[in-house]
Amino acid sequence: MPSDLLIDRLVDGLRPTRRPATLRQGAVLLALAGVELAGFLSLGTLRPDIATAAGLSVFWWKMGGLASLALAATTVALRSFDPLSSPRSELRRWMAVLAGVFVLGWVLDAGSQPGLGLGARLMWQMGIECLTVMTILSTPLVLALLLMMRRGAPTDLGASATAAGAAAATAGAFIFAFHCPSDDPFYIVFWYTLGCGAITMLSRALLPRLARW
Amino acid sequence: MRMCNQARRPHEWMGVSPTPRPHPPRPAAEIVRLHTTPADGTEDEWGALMAAAHAGHAAAYRRLLDDLRKWLGRFYARRLPPSMVEDAVQDTLVAIHEKRHTYDPQRPFKPWLMAVARYKWIDRLRAMGRHGTEALPDDIAVDDHESSVTSQVVLQHLMAELKPAQAEAIRLVKIEGYSVAEASARTGQSDSLIKVNIHRGLARLAAIVQSRPDAE
Repeated sequence: MPSDLLIDRLVDGLRPTRRPATLRQGAVLLALAGVELAGFLSLGTLRPDIATAAGLSVFWWKMGGLASLALAATTVALRSFDPLSSPRSELRRWMAVLAGVFVLGWVLDAGSQPGLGLGARLMWQMGIECLTVMTILSTPLVLALLLMMRRGAPTDLGASATAAGAAAATAGAFIFAFHCPSDDPFYIVFWYTLGCGAITMLSRALLPRLARW
Repeated sequence: MRMCNQARRPHEWMGVSPTPRPHPPRPAAEIVRLHTTPADGTEDEWGALMAAAHAGHAAAYRRLLDDLRKWLGRFYARRLPPSMVEDAVQDTLVAIHEKRHTYDPQRPFKPWLMAVARYKWIDRLRAMGRHGTEALPDDIAVDDHESSVTSQVVLQHLMAELKPAQAEAIRLVKIEGYSVAEASARTGQSDSLIKVNIHRGLARLAAIVQSRPDAE
């Protein structure tokens, strides 16, 4: 098609537009996570000993760490949908926060005396359940971030998809943590890393194909 | 209405020096004046034209796209084989149209344009690796052959960073239009090695482009 004709068509198709606002998108994601949390807890999934757990530093490490990681990754992802933004340096900083959370968990674990072998502490059956529910809870958030990614113009699709996957995975894990009865740092680091890592890698593989522009 | 496109810089007819960035949003009256006044389309003016396009001003948008078509033609002529330039220009114009809402009128226009153009350039480099190339017949008419070859300054410069075998395979098959078999005979590489070198070389080129800032 000649360029003149193409330009004629583009001009004919011109409609007033509105810029996507990062804050508005963040609010939408927050509302979606809130609805998910309310729906999840309405199924009677809230851990019965949450009042006791709230007195443990490990509980707050788990909840605070996941909330921080989810908020930070969501910010990185939403900012990366701007064509001028490069998310790689921000992703590296996010990885540093993740490493800090791991180190804090290791310190907390070293201070406790669980008295069980590492294999027994993993509790495979419960761990598999963790992975499954975490993945289900992350899915709506991955889809919402995909829609926002398609609406934006990310120029580093791989890094944006990684950030989106990490955001959805950690947010899903945060919601699941209201149910998870384990306060063992080793169990949490192992299974949550496995679950979040799988969701992030899946997003990294799929989202660039679906959000290509 | 189609706008004329005379070569005068905005500060010559606006009576002001180029606006420092970031700049505040322009009043509507100034936007209207900009897209009804002849100019050569500098980035500051392009930002105002795009802001007007956001509000639905078709005349401003047409003038912007006309200017961008020329700028993109020069941009890709230095970065892609001549046969791919027109497609890349049109592809980028469509992308600019579809993603125009992501331009923030509070910020300068050129970096946004460069980001979109670079993204499409990388996309083209990757596509060169995915799609086969038909060999050109020996008697094909070539316009302005010398300028076509010498104008790919940026592409040639980038290819110098590849392994010689990769650069040679890309140059012969993707730029000069030889078949894989002909390139194989010329270089002594097997057919499959030519294909592997093209694939890996183009992937490496895309990674190099993505990893560094680009000048116009």
